[in-house]
Amino acid sequence: METGQLVQQLAQHDGASDGSVLRSNVGRISITREASQSFFSALKNDLGFDHCSLISAVDNQTGFELVYHFSIVDVMGQMLEVHIDLPRDTPTVDSITHLWGGADWHEREAYDLMGIYFIGHPDLKRVLLPDGFAGHPLRKDYVYEIHEEEW
Amino acid sequence: MAEMWIHMGPQHPMTHGLWNLRIKVNGETITDAVPELGYLHRSVEKIGERRKYFMNTTLTDRLCYASAMTWTHCYCLAAEELMGVEAPLRAKYIRTVVLELQRIASHLMWLGAYLPDLGLITGFLYGMRDREMFLNLLEIPSGGRLLYNYVKIGGVKRDLPPGFEAKAERVMQTLERRLKEYENLYDNSKIFRMRNDGVGVYSASDAINWGITGPNLRSAGVPFDLRQADSYDAYPELDFEPVTNTAAGGGSDCFSRYRQRVDEMHQSMDLVRQALAKMPEGKVMADSVPLRASGEAFRRTEDSRGEALMYLVGDGSDRPYRWKIRSPMFTTVSAAPHFLKGYKVADVPAIMGSIDMCIGETDK
Amino acid sequence: MTSLYDWSYWFCEAWLVPLITPLLYFQEHIMPPFSNPAGDMARWMESDPGLNILAWTIAVNVALMIGFTNVIIVVYLERKIAGRIMDRRGPMLSLNSLKEIASDLAGYAPEYTWKTTTYAGIGILQNVADGIKFFCKEIIVPDKADRLLYTIGPVIFISSSILLLVMVPFSPRIAASSAPLGLLVVMAAFSIAPIGVLTTGWACNNKYTLIGGMRSAAQLMAYEIPLLLSMAGVFLVAGSYNPMDIVAQQQGMWNVVPQFLGFIVFIVCMLAEVERVPFDLPEAEAELVEGWTTEIGGLRLGLVFAAEYIRGFVGAMIATILFLGGWSGPFLPGEIWFLLKVYGILIFFIILRWTVPRIRTDQILLLGWKRLLPLSLINLALAILYVEVF
Repeated sequence: METGQLVQQLAQHDGASDGSVLRSNVGRISITREASQSFFSALKNDLGFDHCSLISAVDNQTGFELVYHFSIVDVMGQMLEVHIDLPRDTPTVDSITHLWGGADWHEREAYDLMGIYFIGHPDLKRVLLPDGFAGHPLRKDYVYEIHEEEW
Repeated sequence: MAEMWIHMGPQHPMTHGLWNLRIKVNGETITDAVPELGYLHRSVEKIGERRKYFMNTTLTDRLCYASAMTWTHCYCLAAEELMGVEAPLRAKYIRTVVLELQRIASHLMWLGAYLPDLGLITGFLYGMRDREMFLNLLEIPSGGRLLYNYVKIGGVKRDLPPGFEAKAERVMQTLERRLKEYENLYDNSKIFRMRNDGVGVYSASDAINWGITGPNLRSAGVPFDLRQADSYDAYPELDFEPVTNTAAGGGSDCFSRYRQRVDEMHQSMDLVRQALAKMPEGKVMADSVPLRASGEAFRRTEDSRGEALMYLVGDGSDRPYRWKIRSPMFTTVSAAPHFLKGYKVADVPAIMGSIDMCIGETDK
Repeated sequence: MTSLYDWSYWFCEAWLVPLITPLLYFQEHIMPPFSNPAGDMARWMESDPGLNILAWTIAVNVALMIGFTNVIIVVYLERKIAGRIMDRRGPMLSLNSLKEIASDLAGYAPEYTWKTTTYAGIGILQNVADGIKFFCKEIIVPDKADRLLYTIGPVIFISSSILLLVMVPFSPRIAASSAPLGLLVVMAAFSIAPIGVLTTGWACNNKYTLIGGMRSAAQLMAYEIPLLLSMAGVFLVAGSYNPMDIVAQQQGMWNVVPQFLGFIVFIVCMLAEVERVPFDLPEAEAELVEGWTTEIGGLRLGLVFAAEYIRGFVGAMIATILFLGGWSGPFLPGEIWFLLKVYGILIFFIILRWTVPRIRTDQILLLGWKRLLPLSLINLALAILYVEVF
């Protein structure tokens, strides 16, 4: 269906807000994290968004923001961008691995580099950094430890 | 014999790049697999937050070094969307030509790396010999053979010199002759078919669920090509259809992935000819590219290996606030344990080679 | 001089013994109680059994040297042909390059001109360079490996392979041994090698070598039977195991014509026995690094590589004797014909190695048990029919 219609239909969902059309085939919407599970189930099962492209985590200094990109695998290439805002001290959200298998490692990377915890993820470990690494580097308050004498 | 864990990597002749694959074997059959990445993690996203927008093109080249032009191009498209700049038409056509030549070179590199995994070391030299021709072609406008720094925000760096079309045509005719010879050598070889048919099979619906895109998805019969679905540059004005292949028995196996990439090489040559014929005159760089940008933007392109997506967030300064890269191989490697189970240890190089891994983009 | 043994007997009697015995007699009386054995040795060398043993030693050594020289030529040929198939030239180190090496060592700057390089040759010294490299590397025994078996395994493999070189004749004249059960003993020695492979693979305390060793043993076992059955067809028609008799019986028509099926089966099984591509999964680089030889280094590894090439060479020799008429041919002497045929088969092996990918282990075993075994049985049946009818 057309992007404007899609965004309007999604905006009627519980907890959705801020819907807009970015490009001719890309829509954008924000939802709250409590409504995320039902929203994503509706996306996959009712509207046919079967490809989870990307899960990005952004560190706005007052809180975190998760940006999901979904798309439909057909010739129209319809895409949707979903924003979820998270508070700074409890950055947790429900995992969508049971809906899209491809979200598995994207959530692990968001945990690894930004520290967002996904509830219900089968195996939430670090994926890019070594297992014993301390801290989440992509946060804005991550301090590099430069040891002058080691070089 | 009991089940045991075998490490393939990080130092191993098979691994295309630096990563570790732990497989659990029962005799010769694989029962579980755990890929371990991160050996090549260079924190490109964090470094990109410290550099200005136009300085990040040197970082993107090095993301996947086998197919460098496509990654810089994806970043430049995202940055142009953020800044509200549009490249002139001639620059779009030049970008298309150069991207398709890069795609052919990347697929030839894949061919040169895949055949030694099966045991045929001669294939490595044939693939590299043909890739040399394309690297020489790409050296003409950009000056580099592996890392180009050619596509810039707002256009390309230099115009194509006169005589480029004749050279490209000669190179492509040579490649077509050689591809016919390789088809005889590989497709009709019973041993090659025995190693590839029915190995590493996944169905189309599984592939879409796991997030596999690009040639790996089209080799399962799904006609999804981002150059057509989410068109950019000069692709809306070119005439082509997505190429698909299917394994006998549905889904995608190693042989259909091999055929897919060879067919894509033919399609790319066709696209290069079309684009060179239709190229308009004009400038190659936009008039003014701003230094500062604010807002959010993303763009996705059809990389040689799948869907590459770059998401940029700007806060009004001349450096990105957040830069996120989607690498197609990251998702495919995460799905690899699913289509490794049940096959033999000797199939691991064939399967992992056929999905065309490049660790540079996987580890960012 | 009708045979190598006769020639070496003559050589000992006419040249070797008359030169050594005076020295020994001279030493006999220098210090009487202790130096008497010198005289005993001289008298033994002049006697009949002593001459016999000396002649055999020299005959075997000459045959061994001929075999080794041929094997080195085969290694050189393989690298050059592999290079040409891959659109490159192969090794170029030869006597011409010694000039450059010498000036480099002496400290002179290299002389570069605008022409193409002038110090390349045809590459005959490359094998010497590789041999020197193997000499110079250290033999490291892994910490938890079984020291005894780790030493014995390669010894079994190498010694059984070198033994083959003296048991197969090059022609009626150059034959170090002509036992009546000739080729049967050769095949028995051929089959000792899997013991060495398994032993080494297990003794290295390494998962990869263990898997490589087991794969190798399974493959070699599976292909022994069709190999011997296809040879049985020839033995049946010739009526003996002796290579001389088999070649003599092929005077009218080479065995490849009536027993073409047997020839094909033999060639495929021989490729699997010597573990060349397409059957070289036990030492596949892509997965197992080097298979069962991963932990072996230094001269031991050099001799193992040489033993693999020796087995290939001996396999081609046996194929020539059995199927291609051995040393029979119109104008040239028998040895030249023999070597031409052997090198023909080897060049086919080499081209096959660099043109074809490798087969997976379970597919190899499928091929061996389900396809080649019935074919060799059919060949044997046809041979029996042939013997009964004619």
